This record gives sequence, C-alpha cells and structure tokens, in this order.
Amino acid sequence: MSYDPIRDKLERRETVILDGAIGTEILRRNVTWEDHQLANRPEFVRGIHEDYIRAGANVLSTNSFQLCRRAFSNHFRDDAHRHHIGATDLDTRADKLLAASVKLALEARARAKASHPVAVAAAVTTLEWCFRPDLAPTAEQARQEYREIFQVVKDAGADLVLLETVNSITEARVGLEVLRELGLPCWVGFVCDEQGKLFTGETLAQAVGTLEPLGVEAILVNCAPPDDITAGMKQLAPHARVPIGGYAHIGRFDPPEWMFTDEYPPVRYREVAAAWKQMGARILGGCCGTTPDHIAALGALR
Amino acid sequence: MLEALRTRLQNRQPVLLDGPMGSELVRRGVRWRKHGLLTDADKVEQLHAEYLSAGADVLRTNTFQLNPRIYLNVFRNREHMRHIGAPSLEGLTPKLLRTSVEVARRARSKAGKDAQVAVAGVLSPLEHCFRPDLAPAAEAARREHEEQARVFAEAGVDFLLLESMNTIAEAKAALAAGRAAGLPVWVSFLLGPEGELLSREPLERAVKEAEQGGAEAVLVNCAPPQDVTRAVGKLAKLTSLPFGGFAHLGRFSPPSWKFEFFPQFVESESWPPSRYTDEARRWREAGATILGACCGAAPDHIAALRGWLGSNGRSRA
Repeated sequence: MSYDPIRDKLERRETVILDGAIGTEILRRNVTWEDHQLANRPEFVRGIHEDYIRAGANVLSTNSFQLCRRAFSNHFRDDAHRHHIGATDLDTRADKLLAASVKLALEARARAKASHPVAVAAAVTTLEWCFRPDLAPTAEQARQEYREIFQVVKDAGADLVLLETVNSITEARVGLEVLRELGLPCWVGFVCDEQGKLFTGETLAQAVGTLEPLGVEAILVNCAPPDDITAGMKQLAPHARVPIGGYAHIGRFDPPEWMFTDEYPPVRYREVAAAWKQMGARILGGCCGTTPDHIAALGALR
Repeated sequence: MLEALRTRLQNRQPVLLDGPMGSELVRRGVRWRKHGLLTDADKVEQLHAEYLSAGADVLRTNTFQLNPRIYLNVFRNREHMRHIGAPSLEGLTPKLLRTSVEVARRARSKAGKDAQVAVAGVLSPLEHCFRPDLAPAAEAARREHEEQARVFAEAGVDFLLLESMNTIAEAKAALAAGRAAGLPVWVSFLLGPEGELLSREPLERAVKEAEQGGAEAVLVNCAPPQDVTRAVGKLAKLTSLPFGGFAHLGRFSPPSWKFEFFPQFVESESWPPSRYTDEARRWREAGATILGACCGAAPDHIAALRGWLGSNGRSRA
C-alpha cells in the first residue's frame, strides 16, 4: 500500500474521506489519555482505527497528537534536571510511541481488509502547543526535530504525513522541506480563526503561495468549529491548485479533556461538510469530538 | 494559624505534614481532570482521611499548580478560550480552590481533629513548577497569587503553604500576597540538581528574603530525599525560623502532551517507608521540625514517620 491510490482519487476529483478524532474518542469511551494509550492499551487504539475504516475512511491518522521528544523535555528545566529526577526512558519514549502509533494504524488496516483504499497518515503537529504560535521554536530548531520525527514514522511504514493543526507558515514550510528530502508525501492542515486566518495573522493565500511550489499534496483547515472551517475554506478555495479539505472540531475544549455536546450530530455535520465540498473541498473528515458515526455520515458525500 | 500548631513550632516540637495528593490520586486511578475535585471529590476526601489516620498534623489542599493560567495557557488567548472552550472554564479555579478547602476541612471534621490539625492552602508557581524560565513578572505574580490567597482565606484555611517555589521573585510576591490576605505563610523552595533553587539562585538568599517577607517557616521540597538532606543541613545554618523538608520519591514521568504539571511518579518503590524514615531522621538530627513527604509517597510513609516521631512529638531513639 502507498499513497498512490489516494492521489489517484484526488486527481479524478473524487472525495477522499479522512477519519475522525482519536484522542477525544479515547476519552469518550471512558479511557484516560495516559501515554496516548499506545503502550498500555494498544488493542483499544487499534480498535478505534478499525471502526473508522468500517465507517469508510480512506485515510487513517495515527494517534500521535503532539507526541514528540519536546513534549516530555518541556516538563523539566533542562537535560541535567531531567536526568536527575525524570523517568529514565524519556529520551527514547517519544520515538517508541510514535513508531507504535504507526504500527497500530497499519495493523488496523491489515485486519479490517476494507474493499476501499486506505492510507496511513502519520499525524504530526506543531512542536509546541498548537494554539500558541508565540511559543514556536526557531526554523532551524524545528527542522532538526521534524527530521527526527519524520524519519521515525517513515521507518515505521507511514504512507504520508498529515502535518495538522499547524499555526504558522514557517513551521509548515520547514516540515514540508524535510519531508521532501525523505520522499514522503505531505498534507498540511492549518488551524484557523473566525476570519479564516492563521493564528499568526498570516493568510491561507500566503500559505498556498509558499507550500505549493514545495510540493505539498493537499492543504486543509482543521481544529476549529465548523463555521470557522467554512471561513477558512472561503480563503483557501480561490487560491489553491492542489486538493483542499477540512475537518472541524465539534463540542468544546475542556482542558485537559473534551466536552462533548449534541450541537453537531452526524447529519448536521454532514450538511456543513457538504457546503465545504460545494466550495471545492475534496478531503473531508472530523477533528476533536467527532466519532465513527460522523465519518460514516460523510460517506453520502462521496 | 491554628494555636496548637503554633505552640508546637514555638516549642521546637516536630510537626508532621501529610503526603502528596496528586501523585497518590493518580496512582489510585483517579482521572486527572480538574484535580479530581469535580468528579472524584470522595476519593480526595478519602486520601485526606488516610493521612489523618496516619497521624498528619497538617492537611494540604489538593491545589498544587491549580490556577487560571493552567487553563488559559492552552488557548491562543482569553477570547479564544471563550470561543472554543467549555463555558465552565470561566471562574473555574476559585470554585475548585473553595472545593479543595471544603473537602480537607470535612475530612478533618469527620476525624474529630478540628483542634489539632491545620489545613494549609497550597499555592505553587503560576507556571510549570519545573520551568523557572517561564515564571511571570513580579507584579503579575503578586496580583494573581493574591487572588488565590484571598479565596483560601475566605474558605477558611489556617495558613498558606507556598510549595515548590522555583524563583526568589515569585516566592517573594506570593509571600506578600498571602500576608496581604491576612494569612500566616510558610515558604518551601524547589531544589535543583545543584542543591540551590531550581532557578540556580542561592538558597541562602532565598531564605533571607523569606525571613524578611515575614514567612513563619522555611522548607525545601520536590527533590530526591538525599538532596533534601543536604539542603536541610544548610537551612539549619541559615535561619532561626522553624524549618524542614519533604522529598519526592521516585522519578517524574510526564504525560505525552500536556503543558501543566501532571503528578505521575514511577519507581517510587525504591523508597519504602522504612528507608524514607531513616533519611528523614537525618533532617530531624539537623534541627528540622517540619517533616512530610512529596510526590510518590503514600499514607504509609506518613504513618512510618509518625511511628518514629511518636504521638507526643518527642522522637523515639
């Protein structure tokens, strides 16, 4: 399996269904978010992937939101402090969990034996907190860290990378450049505000201008409420030549967890996604708060 | 402060703190959301009750690293929080602080120990306790700590314990805030691997500032037991105030994505109660009168310390 059947579908202007949330789905099924449950409950995570395949997803995104070495090292003053009081596996834990996240999605695909094409996208997000572009590392630092992350997911067998909830053009550009070196296809999803702008104030038109010449396969907007995704799609559609798409979160962020609401049941979510399709979106999926039922409902938009 | 406690300190009799709330609740399987205060208040109260049975003289509120910033920090800004965040986030932390005090006071009351045991409101660094580089400016620290301190004062804590303070500036600001709220304040500093504050500022200057700011006791915490031993030895030479320490046991195992402190410690079994008590014995020998245990410990550790100290406060041989 590779990314090719998905690229072919997009080139034929068919709709590609991306999966829904995995982190919030773990919580919704009343399991904690400890270590992404990659170490403790792998069969449970794999089961959610299988549910999304059965719901019709063409692309599985791995359960690896914000999973990187920096996520652990941020909890200490520095290396000396981490080595002094931190768990002894923290230098290697992120890479191991990342590889495990890809392996579980690949296993789910092998077990589900779907009749439709399914690609496994390694979900990688901003190195610092997705809603805080002010915390972003320098481009050079980001390049180094992305290189490590992308090598791990490539070796683990991911078909593409979904660089999602990206909050600045710089971080997207750097990630894309590294992926080109490694020969992995890349989709980029940006988090946008109510005006459809990036959190840095940059525009999606600028993002398109920077990323298309670098070979991005698709540009999406994600991790915002449905109306904001619609606003982003309006900004994106007139400028992009590559396939575009969107996946919204539904409910409310209730840190450290998620508040589920009944504001967007599957049928209503499908209606809003249909509007994105009208605007030109060819990739439709769900972000935090969505479930396999939401993804199944999107099937009518194929 | 509770009269019984003040008398003990004046007479240089030992005062036994409780053990950790967060790491022990997590070890017991409590899902770590809103410090368990909304969903698992019964389990929080149960743990307080166990520390009381173990013989603690002080109950600390389950509020470590609980302040508005830990929620605000994961949004772009306040507007974004209102836009995509749960409506309950507005005004959440004062509510949780009040609940934490109610739960501790209820446990004390049920144990019939209102006259003997003090409830300490726990304030800690506003940003991540292990990241002194993120500490807020002094003015913001003073304002935000005072808001918290006033909630604690109204809710009826006996005194404030500033825990795991990682910079002198924030400790000073929080101390002034606590005093402005009319509460006695104990200050405890978080030790770095070098044996000074985590910020690398010298313990000596930190102690001096705490004394000048009107602290009633000075402690060190949130470091391995041997580090506390070394620091307690220094405190003995640096201050005439009552002093002490509480160490963490095992190794900090942070979560895979969250910003704020998540109280999970591993390998804590390398410090069974008997070994911990042997180490704490050295603190007492150095003159410490306030002893307890930090993350990774359990009620058994407090019971072991009580067994050694004896119920009348005179150490057994």
